[in-house]
Amino acid sequence: MSKTHLYLRTGFPRAPLANGLGRYMCQVKRITIKFCKSHGSSRGVRDFIETDMIDFVKQNPEFVLYLKPRRHHSPHLIAEYLNGEKFHMSFHNFNREEISKWVNLMKTRAGAPIMAYRKLGHTDNPSIQGVWSPFANQDTSLNVTSFPNEKLSRKFQTEPTATELLLEMFKKQQLEDSEANESKEEESK
Amino acid sequence: MSAYERVKQWNTFARIWHIYDAKWQNPFDSAKVISKHIQGLHKPIYHPLNNCGDHVIVFNSRHIALPGYEWKKRAYFHHTGYPGGASWTLAWQLHEINPTLVMQKAVKWELPRGLSKFGLMARLHIFPDEEIPEELLKNVTSQLRQLRPVPRTLDSYSDKEIEEFPKVMDYPNDYILK
Repeated sequence: MSKTHLYLRTGFPRAPLANGLGRYMCQVKRITIKFCKSHGSSRGVRDFIETDMIDFVKQNPEFVLYLKPRRHHSPHLIAEYLNGEKFHMSFHNFNREEISKWVNLMKTRAGAPIMAYRKLGHTDNPSIQGVWSPFANQDTSLNVTSFPNEKLSRKFQTEPTATELLLEMFKKQQLEDSEANESKEEESK
Repeated sequence: MSAYERVKQWNTFARIWHIYDAKWQNPFDSAKVISKHIQGLHKPIYHPLNNCGDHVIVFNSRHIALPGYEWKKRAYFHHTGYPGGASWTLAWQLHEINPTLVMQKAVKWELPRGLSKFGLMARLHIFPDEEIPEELLKNVTSQLRQLRPVPRTLDSYSDKEIEEFPKVMDYPNDYILK
């Protein structure tokens, strides 16, 4: 026997009709309530039908509410949605307030299956700049360079080395010496 | 998925070949960089279940530079499994036997423990000198930067450069150099 029904489904969140951006559309298309006319477990359902049902149906002409009397059966609800999902729910020993609350919930639901979300966000445009590739943002000159390349291999030298500093100091000293010699020669003339 | 989307997918998961010059480089520091590229950790698409590692060619492994007294002091342990089968090979001895092994072991230690090591190590290609097979070299599209500058040796300086180099003093003519 498979265990698939024992675990919660997993998936990604989706919103029907662009989150109802243009107009609201009730996602439930049919609610069926099955109940018994005589049993005590259907008492709340019978109360709901007597007092609240007519108003509820008049206020919500977008979907149909079916009532199916079934002899000696436990009362339950079946809600069918535009996305093809179907929900069963038991109303066994529920009272009137509970039933009107649950029926209202079924009306306002989007029909998304109850599942564990793998990601909490969803977008229809995953990336504007396009998917990454190892060749993205690479220097185009790499296409024509031959490897191994000495210039690409060498470490970036930000500061001069001690040897370079020494050579620079030496050159500076030589320049100063030559200038001093010139000025001396001019004085002697 | 359209043909264009399919090609984009291939492009994203394309395997890259990097090349790394180990000349005068510390193999243990280099191994940290190389192991990241072998695992694909440098990619934004990285995921442990995602096979996105790259190939790395390391050449000049004969000319690596170990820090401090590592050549003398670092010992590589091996045990044959028999009593008295333990052996300790010093780094310089191992390097004489096979000039790629110090580098190879350094990278192997950096990789995560487990069986994935074998598959990852297959993407590392080490060559002791400058000679790299042409069929490997033609795959290369990227070069990893060295971690430290390669110092110039005295041989690389010309006679003129040595002559012009600043000196604190000249040796006297009768001074005998040892």
